This record gives sequence, C-alpha cells and structure tokens, in this order.
Amino acid sequence: MKLSQIVDHCSLKEVVFLSDEDIKNGYCGDLMSDVIAHADNESIWVTVQAHKNSIAVALIKDIKAIIFTNDVEISQELKEKAKEEKINLFKSEKNSFQICGLLYQLLEGKYYQD
Amino acid sequence: MTILHSRQKLTLANELIYELKVKDAMTREVIYFSEDATFREIQMAMKNNRISGVPILDEKRNVIGMVSIDNVITALDHDYVNEKVREYMTRDVITIPQNFSLVSAIKKFEKYKFGRLPVTENSHSKRIVGILTMGDILNLLLLSIQTIAEKVEEKEDRNSQISEQLIEKTQEKPLRFEVKKADFDNAGRVASIIRTYLQRLNIDQKTTRRVAIVCYEAEMNISIHSLGGYISVTLEQNNIIITAVDYGPGIPDIDEAMKPGFTTASEQIRALGFGAGMGLPNIKKCADQLELESSMETGTILKAVIRIGG
Repeated sequence: MKLSQIVDHCSLKEVVFLSDEDIKNGYCGDLMSDVIAHADNESIWVTVQAHKNSIAVALIKDIKAIIFTNDVEISQELKEKAKEEKINLFKSEKNSFQICGLLYQLLEGKYYQD
Repeated sequence: MTILHSRQKLTLANELIYELKVKDAMTREVIYFSEDATFREIQMAMKNNRISGVPILDEKRNVIGMVSIDNVITALDHDYVNEKVREYMTRDVITIPQNFSLVSAIKKFEKYKFGRLPVTENSHSKRIVGILTMGDILNLLLLSIQTIAEKVEEKEDRNSQISEQLIEKTQEKPLRFEVKKADFDNAGRVASIIRTYLQRLNIDQKTTRRVAIVCYEAEMNISIHSLGGYISVTLEQNNIIITAVDYGPGIPDIDEAMKPGFTTASEQIRALGFGAGMGLPNIKKCADQLELESSMETGTILKAVIRIGG
C-alpha cells in the first residue's frame, strides 16, 4: 500500500512528506518501549507523542511514517529532525482509534467480491 | 560457500524468469536477409554462422518472414534452392516484444516449438531489435544465479565477522558517548549513531536493530533514572558489546526492575511515553548475554553482548 493512498483514505494533513513509501504494517502506541518492542519493521505508526524522541524510535524500527493524532502540536524542531532523518510525518484531528480503524481497513481488511 | 538446495534453486530460476526481460537475454546482432535472397545464400550463412533460422526483413527492418533449416532442406528436395525465398518463406511469423518477461518467451517456445524468436521493438511494431533462443535464456539465467550466489557469499563473509583490523581500530579509540541526566530531547542519539556505524560496517539488519534497541533503552534508563553516565560500544570478532554505566543512585531491587511493567518513573516522564517499565525487559530480549550490577553507592553497570547474525 502506497503512503499516498493512506494519506488520501485517512484524510491526513501532510507535515513532512518526503517519499511515497510502500507500507505493509501499522502500529499504534504512545509508550516508546512498547513501540520498540512490538512494532513491525517498515510500518506506519500512530501516536500522540510528538517529540524528537519519536524520530529516534522510528529510526530504530525502520518506521517509514508517523501519524500524530488528536491534532497535537508539532514543533518546528521536530519537523527539521524528521526531514534530516527522512521520516514522513502526518497529522490528523481524528483520534488514534479512528485512524487505526481506517488504517486497518486498508492494510488488513479483506474485501470479498461476489 | 553457500549451498542452495535444488528446490530453492528452482524457485530462484522461477522468480528470475518473471523478473528478467526478453531484451536482457536476446542477441542484438541479428543475421538477416531480404526476401530477394536465395535459399542457397541463406544456407551458406546458416552453415558459416551455425544457426538454424534467419528472419527476413523489409527495407525498414520489419520482420516479414522466417526461413528455417527445414525450409532450406525442402528447397533442396524440390530443387528451388537457387530461387528467391519470397514465394516460399513462412510469412506467419511469431515474434516477441523486447519488454516481455522471459516467462512469456518460454511459453511461446513451448507452444510453437521454434528454435528462435525474432524480438520486436514493442507489441505494436514488427521492427526487429534482436533475436532470442532458449540457449540465450539459459545463459542469462545461469549468469544471474551465479551473480546472486556470489553476492550471498560475499555478504556472508562480511556480516558474520568483524575484521581484526577494525577491532584494533575501535580498541584504540572506543565508541563512547556521554548521556546526560533528563536530556530526553537528545535521547536516542547514541542508538542512532551506533545504528549508522553498524550499517556502514555491513552488519546485518537484524543484529543492527538489536544493538540499536539495547542502546536506546540503556540511554533512556540513564537519562530518566540516574545522575548521568555513558554508553560504550566495543567490537569483537563475533560479538558487539554494549556497556552502559551510570553514576547512581543505583537500582534497589534488580529482580523487580527486570519485571515487565515495573517502573519508578515519574508521572511527567510517563506522559512523554517513557518509563513504561519495559526498558530492561526489552534489553534482555535483544541481548544474547546480559549482566547487570548495581550498587547504591556507585551506580549501575549494564553489559549486553549481542552475537552478530545470532
């Protein structure tokens, strides 16, 4: 699933959009150690933790994109760091539960035809 | 030396025929004739070049016919070998576009039993750009498999061990990073530097990630719970060793600290997403060997050993 398709489907606001990565997995969590322990590699991460440390966690796990929910404020510093480390950032006024619902449909949902 | 099992080999070849294109395998120098050539001329060319069929092209290099060795033999039999091929050649030529995958070419060879297929510019064109035989396909497959095997071998050599030279170099100048108390903004810095460093050394991704996780959690622990400290990373031939040292105040009960979910972090720190009580359990999960020593007087020393490729 292309990142741009996810952005469209979830109506995300682009904060730092550098490359249209292929996304296969998703994870949601606000505890850094939990994300480090359980997120799949190369996934998209849904969180409210908008600080520089989130970029460090994303790097370790090869997370390609972060969605900040609840319309949290994103500092200029965080944007700069994301650009430097090539991590895509998005935000949404929706909460994590709602975003995950939409993501799940896209990444895991099975549509049966006929 | 890497030994590929026959089943794997087959899968690899199967994958390759889907990936590789006709234009990768085809011969670009084509021996061809116009429809004014005689069977005799073509027979001579076949003999000299050891080929069993030639395409017949018009002045724009479009494929208009094919003459095979069978056609030549028939011409000899019926005594028109000195006549022009125009009246006799096969006009119903099966061609293949250069951008098609090899699998479609193989299917055509199987279906029509031809020895060679003229390759065209694209599916709307009859203009020739090359010629393809099963031999060309097999050659390219063998070459690709050999290249892949060499790469795998090279990678294994590089990944499973760190050279003596490099070990000496890091022993002279160890990788050591200060970690300050409550410096959450910079936390993750050590993990990030080490990660890049190991990537440059061509250490495999899984090992690199395990080292990065240990560094990250150790770094967070020092900055959340201690007065400050440092992390050092040393290399051995088959191991990467991470040592995290802090200047106190020490862990009162190590067994308790190792339990998932146990935390002494403040509300403020937890609001940032740290102090989930999973740091030490995460380290334990990633390390092949873990030593943890703590004294209420001098502080805590954590030593994690990670086997490369383990």
